[in-house]
Amino acid sequence: MIRLSRHHTERIVFAVIGLASVATAVPIIIIVSSIFFSGAEAVSWQFLLEMPRDGMRSGGIWPAIIGTIYLVVGTGLISIPLGVASAIYLSEYAADSYWTRMIRLAIVNLAGIPSVVYGLFGLGLFVLFLDLGSSIVAACLTLSIMTIPVIISTAEEALRAVPQSFRVVSVGMGATRWQTIRRVVLPQALPGILTGVILGLNRAAGETAPILFTGAAFFLPKLPNSIFDQTMALPYHLFVISTQVPEMPITIQYGTATVLLAFVLIMNILAASVRSWQRRKREW
Amino acid sequence: MFDNPKIRINELSVGYDDGTQALSDVCLDIPENAITALFGPAGGGKSTLLRTLNRLNDLLDVSISGEVMLDDTNIFDRNVDVISLRRRVGIVFAQPIPLPFSIRKNITYGLELAGERRRAKLDDAVEGSLRSSALWDEVKDRLDDSANALSGGQQQRLCIARVLALAPEVLLLDEPTSGLDPISTAKVESSLQILKQDYTVVIAPSSIQQTARIADLAVFMLQGELVEWGSGEDLFSAPREKQTEEYITGRFG
Repeated sequence: MIRLSRHHTERIVFAVIGLASVATAVPIIIIVSSIFFSGAEAVSWQFLLEMPRDGMRSGGIWPAIIGTIYLVVGTGLISIPLGVASAIYLSEYAADSYWTRMIRLAIVNLAGIPSVVYGLFGLGLFVLFLDLGSSIVAACLTLSIMTIPVIISTAEEALRAVPQSFRVVSVGMGATRWQTIRRVVLPQALPGILTGVILGLNRAAGETAPILFTGAAFFLPKLPNSIFDQTMALPYHLFVISTQVPEMPITIQYGTATVLLAFVLIMNILAASVRSWQRRKREW
Repeated sequence: MFDNPKIRINELSVGYDDGTQALSDVCLDIPENAITALFGPAGGGKSTLLRTLNRLNDLLDVSISGEVMLDDTNIFDRNVDVISLRRRVGIVFAQPIPLPFSIRKNITYGLELAGERRRAKLDDAVEGSLRSSALWDEVKDRLDDSANALSGGQQQRLCIARVLALAPEVLLLDEPTSGLDPISTAKVESSLQILKQDYTVVIAPSSIQQTARIADLAVFMLQGELVEWGSGEDLFSAPREKQTEEYITGRFG
């Protein structure tokens, strides 16, 4: 049996750990760069801002871009107020009781549900039972159910990270609980909450399964007029042109993937810069 | 000895939900316009007593019996408005904890909570309270800087100032100089001597020496009970109880 010196063990461990981190980074770099490389030639202002033509085989992807923006904004309008309000309740008001434990358990479990299940649930509840039809509003509601657990858990974490002493001081100066939350706790937790919101909405922007049955259209000749219309969306459009349309030019497929990836990447960078802004601004 | 009690405490007992009895049957009259100093070893119930006087313990699960009369009202009475009680009875903590605002905003915060919007009023309060806590000259040119940029001693005087801005009747101080250097401590102590002319001051001093320096009424607390109290000079020159004597002379604690 060979006994390694501590020095050698150290080197080997570092090498293994270093290799592991390279191994995780390499596939991401390959995927992103190959898509951007192949898609770059397809992306132009015309591609971004024109309607698809020839059964989507030429023209642009404007309705899919605008549709994804509608879905993200709509999902944000529903999930941000609900998610942040729930987080405030759980972190600042709720006692540690059987019910709050059940709520927390539900949130954790919701976050682990496969996205196609959300899609089917949305189909059952919003599209059929509430008779909203396959529409932007049904898709936004479905995406919200998927997004809310992410927002709640990150927002709750951000709220709990604000030192308890600030709350005691504020209440000691004659503030009500709500005044304390609104004037001291929320402003301090805001960057953390924003990070969670962006990450949640990011997921909503990239998912296909939840909108598949609830609001995404295969192809629409014009933009949606109301929230009860169907809409095209980037991830579903990418799925359609990659698998459902014969003789699809490969540049358009790559171009669409590039745009979707860029969309998600920009939101991720936004989240990262919010986080670093938070660290610089934080006073504790 | 003092015939003008501002606060009368009658058979006050406080227990925490983990079963510890923090205060047992405490009876004490706290005189107006004087410094009452609660001293004794750690765990004696000084902080609990202070935090009970403006019901800050309501934030925790505590069981309270007995009464605390502030002027003529029992502060535990059902119809007492806790918010206005806390404005009448301000508290300063051991650690200076400025709120994450500017120096000015730290002072105006409490007044704004109470609905004060007039700029002139707020400016007056900022200057007045910072002068009272002997901080004005050091910060008057940088009121909009972050309060965290101040030194520990300055932060503690800021914390006193922001309580004073609310024009309380009673000022509670829980070891306000524990983290401060001797010079800052001296500044805080001398400002207390001026403040007591207008306020009722109740303090848990950071040391026996400080108690001796500033106490008009000194109260010795041990394991949740009042052992002995008397005027500062009397108690330190001729303690009646053996425990008090042993603590003062440094045999325990």
